[in-house]
Amino acid sequence: MTELLLGLQVIVAIACLWMKKPLAAVILLGAFSLLGALLFYHLDAPDVALTEAAVGAGVTALIFVWFIHRTRGGEHQE
Amino acid sequence: MIGRRTDMLDVVSRKLAPFVMLFGFYLITFGHATPGGGFQGGVVIASGVIMLALGRGSKTTERRFPVEPVHLAEAIALSGLLVVGAIGLLLSGNFLGNFLSIGTVGETGPIAFIFMLNVLFGVKVGAGVSVICLKLFEEDP
Repeated sequence: MTELLLGLQVIVAIACLWMKKPLAAVILLGAFSLLGALLFYHLDAPDVALTEAAVGAGVTALIFVWFIHRTRGGEHQE
Repeated sequence: MIGRRTDMLDVVSRKLAPFVMLFGFYLITFGHATPGGGFQGGVVIASGVIMLALGRGSKTTERRFPVEPVHLAEAIALSGLLVVGAIGLLLSGNFLGNFLSIGTVGETGPIAFIFMLNVLFGVKVGAGVSVICLKLFEEDP
């Protein structure tokens, strides 16, 4: 189970690097944090899992979404 | 709010925010018995405030959570933590020492002390992260 979650995290991280759109990359970053939370829960650390889910998948993703919104979808301005 | 705002983001963030905050309060007040605690609960409450800011716009959220009192609450909670730690140093010899009881299992003393620390730390973290995000989300400084 641990190896499966770690492998999924590697796959999601590489996919996150390949994304062209910033919003898709942010969503994959949230998925990465969620997989990390599952991993911590599997390793009997529910406290750390809760922190990872709240900070990584919650606050960070919301802040990134807000700033993508502020910068008009991250498109380059000529 | 700037640019387009979709109904989905609006409705979901507005309807979800109170329940997220309620879960944060649960994490803080049951942190001594179940997974969770001050830091986690505070961050979850702050994410509820951020959801409200995403859904309603930062101006409306700032009317409900004005920056100055929230900032004051954070400062008071941190001062309270330091005072509790100093009292523990005076009475039991260690910083943040438990001065409510010696701490045999089953008594209410240790639980009351941990609960007090959880509440103070939850207020501090929740108010701090909320203030950071509300100041970041200000429309035009």
